[in-house]
Amino acid sequence: MDAAALQIEDLSKVYPTGTEALRGVSLEIPQGDFFGLLGPNGAGKSTLIHCTTGLAMPSGGTIRIFGHDAVEHYEPARAAVGLAPQDPNLDQFLTVAETLDYHGGYFGMPRHERRERTTELLETFSLTGKRDDRTRTLSGGMKRRLLLARALMHRPRLLILDEPTAGVDVELRLELWHYVQRINAEGTTILLTTHYLEEAEQLCDRVAFINDGQIVAQGTSPELAAQYGVSSLEDAYLELVGRKELSRAHIQADVA
Amino acid sequence: MSASRIRFFSLLRREVNRFLKIKRQTVGAPLLETFLYISVFGAALGSRIDKLHGIDYVVFIVPGLIMMAWATNAFSNNSSSILQQKFLRAIDDQLSSPASPIQLLLAFSLGGFLRGMTVATLTFIAASILIGVPVEHVLVLIPALFLVGFFFAQMGVLIGVRAEQFDDVSFAQTFVLQPLIFLGGVFYSASLLPEPFQTITHFNPVYYMIGLVRYGFLGYSDTNIALSLLFLTAATAALFAFNLRLFNRGWKLRA
Repeated sequence: MDAAALQIEDLSKVYPTGTEALRGVSLEIPQGDFFGLLGPNGAGKSTLIHCTTGLAMPSGGTIRIFGHDAVEHYEPARAAVGLAPQDPNLDQFLTVAETLDYHGGYFGMPRHERRERTTELLETFSLTGKRDDRTRTLSGGMKRRLLLARALMHRPRLLILDEPTAGVDVELRLELWHYVQRINAEGTTILLTTHYLEEAEQLCDRVAFINDGQIVAQGTSPELAAQYGVSSLEDAYLELVGRKELSRAHIQADVA
Repeated sequence: MSASRIRFFSLLRREVNRFLKIKRQTVGAPLLETFLYISVFGAALGSRIDKLHGIDYVVFIVPGLIMMAWATNAFSNNSSSILQQKFLRAIDDQLSSPASPIQLLLAFSLGGFLRGMTVATLTFIAASILIGVPVEHVLVLIPALFLVGFFFAQMGVLIGVRAEQFDDVSFAQTFVLQPLIFLGGVFYSASLLPEPFQTITHFNPVYYMIGLVRYGFLGYSDTNIALSLLFLTAATAALFAFNLRLFNRGWKLRA
């Protein structure tokens, strides 16, 4: 039987300030899944992603990526992961093409493979005309595209998208949706965090709710709605955060 | 080439590429600065100063200037590069890669080391053309300069990792590094100092570094060469081990 793409057991994270960001999180994402992680700001989504990608050191518990321990055997574990972060963190000294080339190098790709993959990704994300431009000159939408291209450069088997469509226009959002759906269909496992519930509902096979550092519910969108006794993922989420007065049905009833 | 080597050379290439892209600031400005030191302290003031230990004053100060060029450039390159990347979170791309802590540390260190070496080499060439600089003990000079460069490259990494804001880097450079270098005897021989300053100078590690480099170039030193080499090797190794421990723990790099 194939190892899960991501298997997290009893993960905890306490920051040096004493903040307990994760409290015994357990989660399993099978290979090929499109998994959504939803929760309010400060719930622990980014900390979970940072622990998975090596940007934060877990305080306890285990993380396995395709069977490799993310702390003890970080090399094969990290090689399998691509991360498109929430905030653009592009190196301002580099051009668009260099950004992809260096990233490929950090992941051990030989030069000829980096060249081919860079050309392919620049074409895919409509950045060919910008290949020699410094990253700081790009528009917000282009930076988003480049972040996704960089995450995909080394052909990761697990792609982590941390709010990839935050602040992007409708056209680009749809473009990104189509692309990630395509690579998911080709076998890439995807972990998506988003604040757009319709995005999670439309894209994800399964969704987990995280709140106050704990996974409080997980399943398909209909399963979660049923678990909270409501009709949609959005209403289930509003139940989770204790704001059911904001549900569309509630507001419509008030207006009527 | 193995994936591990590709990884290391990509990390190093990024560091070298960074300083070459802004070479007017990272190579040109330090060269001009050294040229001004030679002009002002050597040619202008030096003409009024007698020989020091039988060596023309302008020639006497050149070894210290070459060492200072390597040291300050290695330090400022690494501290600035790491802090900038931390500030923009661009460093996350390297930290989330499969690169090991020692690969990351060596790549960051060697970036500044190579910049320092570039400026020091150009300074040496320029000084050789302008005033003629002898090389008396090349077997002492090369290891001494390499150790000095690597020591200050490690210092730069340490300050860059520790820094939270740009002021932290400039504070270390202005209030710690520059006084140590200037008071270590770049522009004078410590043996000429009155007490207690002569004794105090012996507690400055840069004094021994300048002594080694000056001996390598001119064959003269105020310090014991073997002991200075031993001390510098031990200090560099200890600093490298300390930085490696920080990188292994992810201190101030990984949350």
